[in-house]
Amino acid sequence: MPLIELVNISRTYRLNQIRVEALRDVNLTIEEGDFVSIMGPSGSGKSTLLNIIGCLDRPSAGTYTIVGNRVEKMNDNQLADIRNQLIGFVFQSFHLLPNLDAAANVELPLIYRGLGGKERRRRAIHALEAVGLGERVHHLPSQLSGGEQQRVAIARAIAGEPRVILADEPTGALDSKSGENIMAIFTKLNKDMGITIIQVTHEEHIAQYGHRICRLRDGQILQIDETQNGRAVT
Amino acid sequence: MTTTDNNKKNAVFSFLVRTLFAAKMAWHGVLTHPLRSALTILGVAIGVTSVVSLMGIGEGARQAVVAQFKSLGTNVIAIHANDVSVEFDPEEAEELVERVSGVEMGTPVINTKAVMRWRRARGTINLVGVNNEFPDVRDHPVIAGHFFTQWHVMQRSPVAVLGYNVGHGLMGGRSPVGHTFTLNGETFRIVGVLAPKGAANAEGIDDKILIPYTTALKIAGKKKVEQIWLKANSTQEADLAVVQLGRIYKRKLGLDQTAPTPGGTQGGEGEAGPGATAEVMEKIAAAPSPRPAPEKSPIPGGEDLITITNLNQLVKEADQANRVMTLLLGGIAAVSLLVGGLGIMNIMLVSVTERTVEIGVRRAVGAKQIDLLIQFLMEALYVSALGAIAGTAGGIWGLNVFSHYGFHTALSLQSIKIAVMVALGSGLLFGIYPAMIASSVPPIEALRRQ
Repeated sequence: MPLIELVNISRTYRLNQIRVEALRDVNLTIEEGDFVSIMGPSGSGKSTLLNIIGCLDRPSAGTYTIVGNRVEKMNDNQLADIRNQLIGFVFQSFHLLPNLDAAANVELPLIYRGLGGKERRRRAIHALEAVGLGERVHHLPSQLSGGEQQRVAIARAIAGEPRVILADEPTGALDSKSGENIMAIFTKLNKDMGITIIQVTHEEHIAQYGHRICRLRDGQILQIDETQNGRAVT
Repeated sequence: MTTTDNNKKNAVFSFLVRTLFAAKMAWHGVLTHPLRSALTILGVAIGVTSVVSLMGIGEGARQAVVAQFKSLGTNVIAIHANDVSVEFDPEEAEELVERVSGVEMGTPVINTKAVMRWRRARGTINLVGVNNEFPDVRDHPVIAGHFFTQWHVMQRSPVAVLGYNVGHGLMGGRSPVGHTFTLNGETFRIVGVLAPKGAANAEGIDDKILIPYTTALKIAGKKKVEQIWLKANSTQEADLAVVQLGRIYKRKLGLDQTAPTPGGTQGGEGEAGPGATAEVMEKIAAAPSPRPAPEKSPIPGGEDLITITNLNQLVKEADQANRVMTLLLGGIAAVSLLVGGLGIMNIMLVSVTERTVEIGVRRAVGAKQIDLLIQFLMEALYVSALGAIAGTAGGIWGLNVFSHYGFHTALSLQSIKIAVMVALGSGLLFGIYPAMIASSVPPIEALRRQ
């Protein structure tokens, strides 16, 4: 069973009476342990695709299955559970809560899972150590550099031990050194912990960290390239 | 399979964890913009302050008025002649005590004035002529000496019982009992001093001198008295006595047209014609009242010649009128609470708009709509609760200020309860809409890149 399976996915918006087709008949299958980069010019539907995979949005047509769950049939609360337990998000502008320290930010998904305080703290510190921020547990986001903030965000994404990490332009707001650092962490998470990673990027060299590059144009998948990092995906 | 570990116990624990966290986050929300929160809290506090203090003033006024009426004595019936032609023989008081069931005491009352001389000072003083039953009729004991006796009344003795202020004015702290003074040149001996009525001193009795009514009639040069006070044994008997007195006086004044024969007066009190009770007059005459008594019904052609007042009734009416006043004041003040609630709603809407990204992040990591609803609702509740606390303190302080300036105030627990409940209620009411907006923001909207 594939981790993620999109079949004939379409997504249309209505913008001032005009129908906008953000995605048209997209078919995509991602196996557990894959590392996929999604590329494409702006307006090609990258973010829409990522939102649908992340269960933040629902397709207008088609079927989407994640770990055996049929997303288009689920209600809001069930989607929240899916996001909470199966998916970790990493955003371009980090989106840390400014008045919570690093550990509390990382604990966020665990709180909505209903875990008790001690267990949360243990897992949060473990996750921060995994991204090399064991010394920054009690720092507020404003006391951290951009790269460090993004690493806190990654710690938040992995704290709940998800099956897949979805990253929307994870290096877009970072200098190239920090960006490479983030990619190194992704690669390590992917290799050592077997977490599937799907990232949207517009930088070719960042995309090359993935095993496959999925190129979008006008809401359709143009082609899927294997990279040098790629392994045979069955 | 996403809900594998959700057995019942876990669900309760999970809800607890999430709610506690929502409460904590809501508190963070209040602290994020201290000035903004403080101003909103102030809005609520002003509302609560005005409710608590205005209701406190209303309640204080009510208690003061009730205390005044109560000071007239319980179960007292005052019969007042509004015209010289219908004034009473002093013996009528005794007669009524015999005739009216449930009434066991009574005194004729005559108000007059005289020139008083005390040592070298002189001035005009108000006199009240009563009989020896006065202290029992009006529940008004002496604090020094004793009241004059029936013997004094019969003998037209020149004895006097001083109102508290008069007694105090004459001799300061020492008892003036045994000393003498003159009224219109005649020497009077002070036999007692009445207990003070203080703030409840409705008729100014503290500033008057009581003498036997026989003596007072002599001073006034009259044969008849204008008032009779009766004391009933109980509230119910007072009510019945008023009805009975109404019949007696109607007959006496010859206004009972339903009894044409001269012998009609002997018809027995117990079976007067129908409608008789409806014509009983109960009117507020001697005592000040916030509104005219509802049961006033003049005897046709009688033109309010005689007024029979049940003082119990007065107390009740004054009490009710003031209760209505208090509620009215509270209601007006509650409008400002409403405004405070609108302030909460306004600020919460701003807050929700500002925090769409935060909402989106929470939704992305697994917060459900209910989590956000609780968080934002709690934020509104914190603001209203703090406002309620500050407002209660403000109200108590305000009442102190008012009482300092001579208002009768009474801090009522009821007003605090009402104000706090309305404040929390408005926090809930005006917080629910912004909270619903917050919880219904779609996660992608919230995360859309700025």
